[in-house]
Amino acid sequence: MKEKTAKPLLKVENLTVRFPVKRGGLFSKKSYLYAVDDISFEIARGETLAIVGESGSGKSTAALAVARLVKAHSGSVLLGDDDFLSLQDEALRQARAQVQFIFQDPYASLNPRLRAEAVVREPLDSLGTGDPSERQASIDALFKAVGLRPEQQRLFPHQFSGGQRQRIGVARALATRPELIICDEPVSALDVAVQAQILNLLRKLQKDFDLTYLFISHDLGVVQHMCDSVAVMYMGKIVEHADRLSLFNNPLHPYTKALLSAVPSVDKKRRQETKRILIPGDPPDPLSPPNGCRFANRCPAAQEQCSQSQPPLRQIAAGHTVACHLVSDNGIAPI
Amino acid sequence: MKPLLKVDNLRIELTTRDGVAPVIDDLSLQLNAGETLSFVGESGCGKSMTALALMGLLPEGVGRVASGQILFDGEDLTQASDARMREIRGNEISMIFQEPMTSLNPVYTIGEQIAEVLRRHQNLSRQAAWNKAIELLDAVRIPNPGARVSDYPHQMSGGQRQRVMIAIALACEPKILIADEPTTALDVTVQAQIFDLLRDLGRELGTATILITHDMGAVADMAERMIVMYAGRKAEAGPVEQIIEHPRHPYTKGLISCVPHLMATLTEERPELTEVPGIVPSLRDFGRDQCLFASRCDRADDKCKTSRPPEIEFENEQSSACWQAEQLR
Ligand SMILES: Nc1ncnc2c1ncn2[C@@H]1O[C@H](COP(=O)(O)OP(=O)(O)OP(=O)(O)O)[C@@H](O)[C@H]1O
Ligand SMILES: Nc1ncnc2c1ncn2[C@@H]1O[C@H](COP(=O)(O)OP(=O)(O)O)[C@@H](O)[C@H]1O
Ligand code: SF4
Ligand code: SF4
Ligand SMILES: [Mg+2]
Ligand SMILES: [Mg+2]
Repeated sequence: MKEKTAKPLLKVENLTVRFPVKRGGLFSKKSYLYAVDDISFEIARGETLAIVGESGSGKSTAALAVARLVKAHSGSVLLGDDDFLSLQDEALRQARAQVQFIFQDPYASLNPRLRAEAVVREPLDSLGTGDPSERQASIDALFKAVGLRPEQQRLFPHQFSGGQRQRIGVARALATRPELIICDEPVSALDVAVQAQILNLLRKLQKDFDLTYLFISHDLGVVQHMCDSVAVMYMGKIVEHADRLSLFNNPLHPYTKALLSAVPSVDKKRRQETKRILIPGDPPDPLSPPNGCRFANRCPAAQEQCSQSQPPLRQIAAGHTVACHLVSDNGIAPI
Repeated sequence: MKPLLKVDNLRIELTTRDGVAPVIDDLSLQLNAGETLSFVGESGCGKSMTALALMGLLPEGVGRVASGQILFDGEDLTQASDARMREIRGNEISMIFQEPMTSLNPVYTIGEQIAEVLRRHQNLSRQAAWNKAIELLDAVRIPNPGARVSDYPHQMSGGQRQRVMIAIALACEPKILIADEPTTALDVTVQAQIFDLLRDLGRELGTATILITHDMGAVADMAERMIVMYAGRKAEAGPVEQIIEHPRHPYTKGLISCVPHLMATLTEERPELTEVPGIVPSLRDFGRDQCLFASRCDRADDKCKTSRPPEIEFENEQSSACWQAEQLR
C-alpha cells in the first residue's frame, strides 16, 4: 500500500442528500427520499476511492453532491483546506476548477454543436486562465495526453467513436488542471476493448498528473483494477469501507459478500471457491426505510435484533469499517 | 445425435446507404438439445443479427438471407413461410431481448401478456391461460405471483420485468431460447438470479439456450460451447473452458485479456490491461477478402491483409479462422 499522506485531499463528513417527493394526490404531504444518508469518507491525494452498490443506492447522488452539482442537505466536504460546500463567488469558481466530472455517456455529455477543440477549451475560457496562445498550447497538450491526433481538434463529436468521445471528455475534465476527478461509470457505455484503452489512460494520467479519483462503477472487475479503497453503498448508506485487498479478499458485510459472489469470473479457481450468496427480492421502499438494518429483508444472516436498530459503522481493523450487527469485533463475518 | 439446430454457410446481407454488405458471412454452427451456446464479440459484430435471422425477424426491406440454410429439427427455416415462422416463434424458438421495458407492452398487465402467448400457441381457455401465467411467474421466482400477475410493467423493477420476459419466452416450453444480452441493464446480484433461473429451467425443460453476451465471465459461468464473432464472421469456436485457457485466435485472446477480471485471490499486482487498439470495422468493410481483424492485430502480415483466413479445425473441437492459428498456443 502507498503510504498515506497526513492530510486527505478530500474529506466528506456526514453528507446527506434528500429529494422532496410528492406521493399520492394533490393534498398529500411532502416527504423526502434520503438518496444519501449520513455518509463519510476520505481520499488521499493521488489515490482512488471506488463507490460500488446496486442501482439506486445513491452513488451518483453522493458524487454529484461532492461536486456541488446537487445540493447537500447537511454535512461537509473538505477539499484540501477549503470547506467546499460553503464557498462563494470567486473562491467557489477557483475551487470548482479543482473538481471535474467524467460521465458515463460519451454520446450525451458532449455538446454536439461544438468542435472537439471548443469542447476542451470551454472550461479554460470560463476560468479565464492564460492568453489565447497559452490556451491553444494547453489544448494541444491535452489532446496529446489523451491520445488524440492534432487534426482531430477540428472534428465534431459525432465524427468520433465512443472511445474517442470519452477521450475528449477526459481531456475536457483535465483542462482546468483539477486535483479531483469524479468518474461516474466512465467505461460502462464502451465495448470491452475500448474500455481497456480508457482504463489504461486514466491510470496513466493519474500517475502523470498526481490525480485523485472518486470512481463509480458497477463492474467489480473494473473497480478492483482501478481502486485503492472501496466504499460499498446500500440504500444511501455506506455499509462497508476498506482498502482494496481487504475488501476483495476479506469482505465482511453480508451485502458485500453477496455482491462479490454474484460476479461471474473467467477464473476457474474463483468459480470453484465462490459459494453464491443469493439475495432474493428488492430493497425496501426508499421513501420509508425500515428502522433496523436496511438490508435485513434480504440478508441471509439476519436475526431478530437486525430489524430493531440500525447497525452503526464500526472499525474492525485499520482502514476497514463495516455496518453489521453480526460481524464480530475481531472481524468474523456472519456468513 | 442429430443436432437440434444446424446452420450451414449462412450469409445475411444488409442493404444500407453504402450498398449491400454481408452482416453475417458464411456462418455455420450446431446446437444440441439442452446445451448452452454463447455468442461473444464486441458490438456491431453481428450477434443480434444472427439471433434475428434464426427467429425470422430480419429487418424488413433491409436484411435478407442471401445463401445458406437454417435447419431446425430438419426443417429449413430460410424457406419457411411467414405463417410457419409465426407458429415457430414464441412457441418452439423464443427470444429474450436486451431491453425489458421496451419489449413489454405498457398498457396490458403482465398476466394478460403471458396469457396471450399461451392462448395464441396452445389454445388454452382464458381461465386456464391465466392460471398458467401465475404458475409461470412463480417459476421465475416473482414473489406473490397471484397478486403480481395483475401488475403493469412499470410497477416492476428491471430485474422483475426481465423475469417476466423469461416467463413469456418459456411459456410454451420452447426447444430453443435465444437470450440477447439478457442482463446487461441489470445489477450483478439480479444477473446472478436470472442466470440461476435460466440454468434451472434449461435443466428442467431441456431447453437449449443461445446466450449472447460480451462478458467472458458470464460465458464461463453459463455456456458449454462458445462462438467468437468478429465483423460478421466466426473468429473462433469450441468448448468454453478450453478456449479461455488456450485461445486460438488473437481476437479471442484480446477479448479475454483486455478485461480486468476478479480472481480467486487478489494481489498487490495490477499489470496494465492488454489493449486491442482500434475498433470494429464498419459494415461496408465486412465483405473484404482479408482478415478483418488485421488492422488491430499485432501479428498481422501481408497475407492477413490480402486474403481471408479459412476456418481451421483442431482435434479438440476448437476451430479458428486465423492464418496463424497453428502457431497460437
Ligand atoms: N433528482 C432526483 N429527484 C428525486 N429522486 C432522485 C433524484 N436523483 C436520484 N434520485 C433517487 O435517489 C436514489 C439514488 O439515486 P442515484 O442516481 O444516486 O443512484 P446510483 O447509485 O447512482 O444508481 P445507478 O447505479 O443506477 O446509477 C434513487 O432512489 C433515485 O431514484
Ligand atoms: N436495422 C438495421 N439496419 C441497418 N443496419 C443494421 C440494422 N441492425 C443492425 N445493423 C448493423 O449490422 C451490424 C451488426 O449488428 P448487430 O447484429 O446488432 O451486432 P451485435 O449484436 O453483435 O452488436 C452493425 O454494423 C449494425 O449497425
Ligand atoms: S445487521 Fe443483520 S440484517 Fe443487517 S447485514 Fe448484518 S446480519 Fe444482515
Ligand atoms: S489472420 Fe492474421 S491478422 Fe487475422 S487474426 Fe490471424 S494473425 Fe491476426
Ligand atoms: Mg448512477
Ligand atoms: Mg446486439
